[in-house]
Formats: sequence, structure tokens, C-alpha cells
Amino acid sequence: MMVSGLLLNITICFAITLSSFAFAWVLARSEPEHGDKSKPALWALVIFWTLVGFTYLPTTIRMIAAYTQNYGLDQMMYNLAAIPFAFVSVPLVYFIIYVIVGNKKVSGYVSFVFMIFGSAYLTFLYSNGVNSTVTEWASLFSVNSDIAISIYLMGLFVVPTAMILGLLLIILLQRVPKRLRYRTTLPLVAISFVFDFMLTDMITNIDIMQVFARLFVLIGTVQAFLAYFPPLTLQEKLGIQEYQFDFYEEDDETEHDIEDDIGDEGDDTNV
Amino acid sequence: MSEDIDVELEQEVAEFYQSLGINQGPGDIQYRLILKVLENNDPDITKFSDIRNYTDQFADRGSIGSKMKTVFQLEGLVKKVKRGGYVITDKGIIAASFLKTTTTFYKKTKRMCEIIERMP
Repeated sequence: MMVSGLLLNITICFAITLSSFAFAWVLARSEPEHGDKSKPALWALVIFWTLVGFTYLPTTIRMIAAYTQNYGLDQMMYNLAAIPFAFVSVPLVYFIIYVIVGNKKVSGYVSFVFMIFGSAYLTFLYSNGVNSTVTEWASLFSVNSDIAISIYLMGLFVVPTAMILGLLLIILLQRVPKRLRYRTTLPLVAISFVFDFMLTDMITNIDIMQVFARLFVLIGTVQAFLAYFPPLTLQEKLGIQEYQFDFYEEDDETEHDIEDDIGDEGDDTNV
Repeated sequence: MSEDIDVELEQEVAEFYQSLGINQGPGDIQYRLILKVLENNDPDITKFSDIRNYTDQFADRGSIGSKMKTVFQLEGLVKKVKRGGYVITDKGIIAASFLKTTTTFYKKTKRMCEIIERMP
């Protein structure tokens, strides 16, 4: 009966899990290419994408459980996925504050506050329980605690999203080279895409909306990948390809002299 | 004197403009300091010794004197009102306010570069 929709849902969740883990791994591997100043931000991003992966890994299992009508496992996996999900804003806040302020201590403290938010959310979630419904498209859980939902909206999502928008604005208002602008804004847009649609995914009561939110999380992950590793065709289209030229080592003076000489000769023949 | 001059900052800014290939005006620490002192003393008379208080660590008396003559007096940025005494002109105020924008531009650019440097 409930076949196609849930299968699509499983596939999307699995794709998000794979791509975010792969992206985190690739980012971590690119560590030697980064300067000392950008390393803390890089590791925050790696942790962020790993947490996204760890949120969608149990979610994939949860959807499979719903598909096979194993509701006990479904609920267990929901509770498991809530843990990485509650702390996904911690590395994100660390990343943004570090990039703007440049102080590891300050960003550490601020992200600690978000850790408390996350723990508070989990406490309220676990103590008040959830109601589940399985439909043709998705397995939905509604959170019974209003406080949990408020913490979650205000603390875990609105503030970090506002921070991302602020950082985006700072970068967009400056005149920076096109290639740099692409490299700095696209990851931010991708992160906010993933982040906000994860919220929609977790909070929605409509099954189709859950599938669409997950589809957009997947799109966001791909976008982030393109931001760091743009394919050549895209680079050419946007005019952001890196220069492949080597430095010209010959003495410029002599070249000018030769050109001048040729020019002079040309003039002479005209006269 | 209305405000103190941050010599270190001025030097930093001057070096930044020099690194862009701008060696005169905003990229010249002597020019920056002279103009700052004159602006701070406005509308009173600036004594040559006031200027030298700041410039002595960068340049000798002669080069400051010749800069006063060949740049500031020649272009009408200052008026010499007595021996060793100068007053900044309206044109000089324009130059001073331009100098301020160069400082702001430097700070903005530096902040931006640091943000981009920290972006992985």
C-alpha cells in the first residue's frame, strides 16, 4: 500500500547521508591546503557536515523501519537522530563567530551557549514524548512539548540563520573579486539551505512537505560541494576560473626595446 | 591639540598604500603626519617644531622642511604666516578629510581581508 512515497523518502535520506559524509571527508582531507587562520573554521565545517550526516543516517533507518512497519525501531531512531540534530547549530555558530570576530575563545563561549540550548531541547523532547503517524510519503513525529519547539525555533535556528545572513551581507556589500565572492557566499547559502530545511523537515506535520524539505537539504549539500569544488564548465560560465598561467620570467625591458625597434623600423620604411 | 595622532596607525596605513604602489600622498608617512598635525592645530598656528615632534623618528629636519615648501606651500595647502609658523588653508582641510577616508578605507579593507582569510 504505502510503497512509492516512502521509498523515495528513504532514497533521499540515504543520499543526504552519503553526500554530507563524503563532503565532510573531502573537506577534512583538504586541510593541508588551508592556512592556519582558516583551520578552526574548516574543522567547524567538517563537524557541521558530519552532524548532518549523523542526523540523516538514523533517519534513513527510521524511514526503512516505517516502510517495514517496525514502529518501535522508527521511534528509537527518531530519538537517536534528535541528538546530532540538536547540536548541529553548535559548530555552525562557532564557524560564523570565528570568521567574523577571529577569536577562538569568544566563538567557543558563544557556541557553548548553543550547546546548552541543544541540551535543553533534548531534555524537553525526551521528557514530554512524541506522537507518530505514518503516511504514504513519510513517518511524522509531532513534539508534545511547546517549550522544546520554542527553544528549537528561536535558539537553534533563528539566531544562527540571522548570523549567516549577517555574514552574507558583510561579504556582499564589499567589492571583492568575483571568484572570491563565489567561494565565500555559495557555501554560506548552501549551509543556510541545509540548516533551514532540516528545521522544516523536523517540525512539519505534512508528509509531502517533509519529502520536499529533505530534497532541498540534498540540493543544499550538492550546492556546498559545488562551492568548494566547482566543475570546470561552471567556472568558465561564471568567469571564475583560476589562472593557470606561470609567471613570465624574461626581462621585460629587453622585450620593450625590441618592440620599440620594430616600431621604429616600421616608421622608417613609411618615411 | 584636539586629538592625539596615532603614529603607529598612520605608519601602518602608509605602508598599506605603498604596497599598492602609491608612494606619494596617502602612502607617504611624512605627508600624513604633517597634514594631521596641521589639521589638529587648526585654526591656530602650527609651529615647525610641532610637526617635528612627530616626524623626527621618520625623517630629518631638512626633508620635512623641503616637503613643506615643495608640496604644502606650493599647492596652497598651508600658508606660512611667520618664520616657522604655518596655518592650514581650506584646500588643506580638503586634503586632510581625504586622508581620513584613506584611513577608513584601509581599516575596512583590512577587516574584509581578515574575514576572507578565515573563511575555509
